[in-house]
Amino acid sequence: MDFGSFLSALTLLNIALALFGVVAGTIIGSIPGLTATMAVAVLVPITFSMEPASALILLGAIYTGAIYGGAYAAILLNTPGTPSAIATTFDGYPMAKRGDGDLAVALACFASVFGGLVGALALLFLAPPLASVALAFGPVEYFWLSIFGLSLIASLSNGNLMKGLVGGAFGMLLSTVGVAEISADIRLTFGSQTMIGGFDVVGALIGLYCIPVLIDLCAVPDRHLKVEEGVQKVRIGEAARIAMKSKFNLVRSSVIGTLVGILPGAGGSVAGLVAYSEAKRTAKPEQKFGEGEADGIIATESANNATVGGGFIPTLVLGIPGTPPDAVILGALLVQGVRTGPSLFQDGGSIVYTFIYGLLIATVLMLPAGLLIGRYAYKSIVTIPKAVLVPAVGFMTIIGTFAIRNSISDVIIMICLGVFGWVVGRFGFAASPIVLGLILGPIAEQGFVQSWTIGAATNNLTGMFFGRPISQAILAFTILTLLVPFILARKQRKAATGAKS
Amino acid sequence: MNNSTAIQGRFGSLIVTVFFFIAGIVALYDTMSYSDTDSQVFPQTVAIGLILFTSISLVTQFLKPSESEGFGAGIWWRRVLLIVSMLLACGAMPYVGFLPAGVIAFVGGLIAAMHDRWTVRTVLIYWGSGIVVMVAFFTLFKFALQVPLP
Repeated sequence: MDFGSFLSALTLLNIALALFGVVAGTIIGSIPGLTATMAVAVLVPITFSMEPASALILLGAIYTGAIYGGAYAAILLNTPGTPSAIATTFDGYPMAKRGDGDLAVALACFASVFGGLVGALALLFLAPPLASVALAFGPVEYFWLSIFGLSLIASLSNGNLMKGLVGGAFGMLLSTVGVAEISADIRLTFGSQTMIGGFDVVGALIGLYCIPVLIDLCAVPDRHLKVEEGVQKVRIGEAARIAMKSKFNLVRSSVIGTLVGILPGAGGSVAGLVAYSEAKRTAKPEQKFGEGEADGIIATESANNATVGGGFIPTLVLGIPGTPPDAVILGALLVQGVRTGPSLFQDGGSIVYTFIYGLLIATVLMLPAGLLIGRYAYKSIVTIPKAVLVPAVGFMTIIGTFAIRNSISDVIIMICLGVFGWVVGRFGFAASPIVLGLILGPIAEQGFVQSWTIGAATNNLTGMFFGRPISQAILAFTILTLLVPFILARKQRKAATGAKS
Repeated sequence: MNNSTAIQGRFGSLIVTVFFFIAGIVALYDTMSYSDTDSQVFPQTVAIGLILFTSISLVTQFLKPSESEGFGAGIWWRRVLLIVSMLLACGAMPYVGFLPAGVIAFVGGLIAAMHDRWTVRTVLIYWGSGIVVMVAFFTLFKFALQVPLP
């Protein structure tokens, strides 16, 4: 770390690149179907002629902007713009529906900036020691981490745990459709060529979250979002006060995001879900998560943006990409001739530190840029007549889903999943547990099968699954998360009985 | 919630649960044909879990019927038109190209979501903005993002 690198990051070109990256990333991330990975991948070629540090700053800014941009569609359309924003829909859309969409957008911006700064500062000060955390996670820890994520089903089941578990199990089954990664068996396709590629997670997300909203919107003449007369600006002051009040949640979620970001393959969606789960577990009785609770947005948005800095730690220190966009950035670095690895911080220190300072600057620039774009996004969604909004969003879902794998089959699957999600949702089976199963299924399967194989080979299955300290800690958190709703409900019943008597 | 809605909700909830139960059985049967245990063990475990959860859910629903809103209020032809037009667009895409197919989906969605009276002004503004949105996104994806749209 040196002052020269800080000054290098402050050149006009680097600041302009950081601003451009944040704005471009935010806009791309806000379009359902365009993920942060795609945003980075699409804009990688323009970095080839740049200096390595400037290229990294641009790519980091695009990445951080795209993760934040995903919140707009999550809050205003109930469709995660990127998978990282899944948990943002849980409270963001209910807030928008009751007329607090402007507040939710501002909260998402504050939380994203805070989380992004925590992740970048961890990268600046703690990169080498934290990188060793990634190496401490074996397949069994990944398995338990995914089970921990699935324990969130208990709180997403709208009061019916069994229906949530059914949805989660069904989502996990959907995740196994297609060619098995480990042994290449073709599973659950029933002879259909269309299903061999399996369900694309982003397409499934768009279908399960967005199509039901469109079906409901077009069926009734009510306005799509409630809005009070004359209130058409983002409530910055109010959002800042709420964020300040939830400082503990902000810090905890940002730390969770950084740590999950360090784990290769976990990514922003897992970080957001774990942080949401923790925020809900430690919530006060009067807080109603899932019904438009500000702390839900703060938790998920700070966590998913913290994965940006966290993900760069194993990428730069170990050469192992922490998240999918990091893999693309790693490729761009190799093209630039930068060799990542333990010696990078010594050999290429000036590039690395210039980049980290650039990432910090980009994250700070996200505050004004994000609030400004958020204001226009909110105003646009609120003022567009529903008759135009519904077909426009429908068109975006088609083009966004098609773009993922250039497949019409994916679009058809997306629409069918959407109709399915709408029907089952009407009878108490929420979409979120199905989505959780779909996302965490592959992580759980890989961890489970690898651990099983190792355990069987060493003749120590119990020790493999339950004997490692990190696994035990995650398992303890999982049990705690599952039990807390019952304990709280029992406490409330006792309190109610006490008040009656 | 009135009586008929409650009955629809309970009955529909049971049907959906039975669907998930059958899905679990079918998945479990499918896993028998896999050649490798590694690819069998996970879906088999999950399918058994699904069957177990749906069984418990069915029992609890018989003992204590769950309250769900059913299909609720809303105009059915609008819902159907929206979905059918989107599926039609997918079917037409390889033959007429992405943009004309997109027009089918857009027009269907526009008619489905339009609850006010049509006037010359709304026709011009809504259809005009629709064309702008579609052309803008088509240009962005096809030329800027290099997506090979048909």
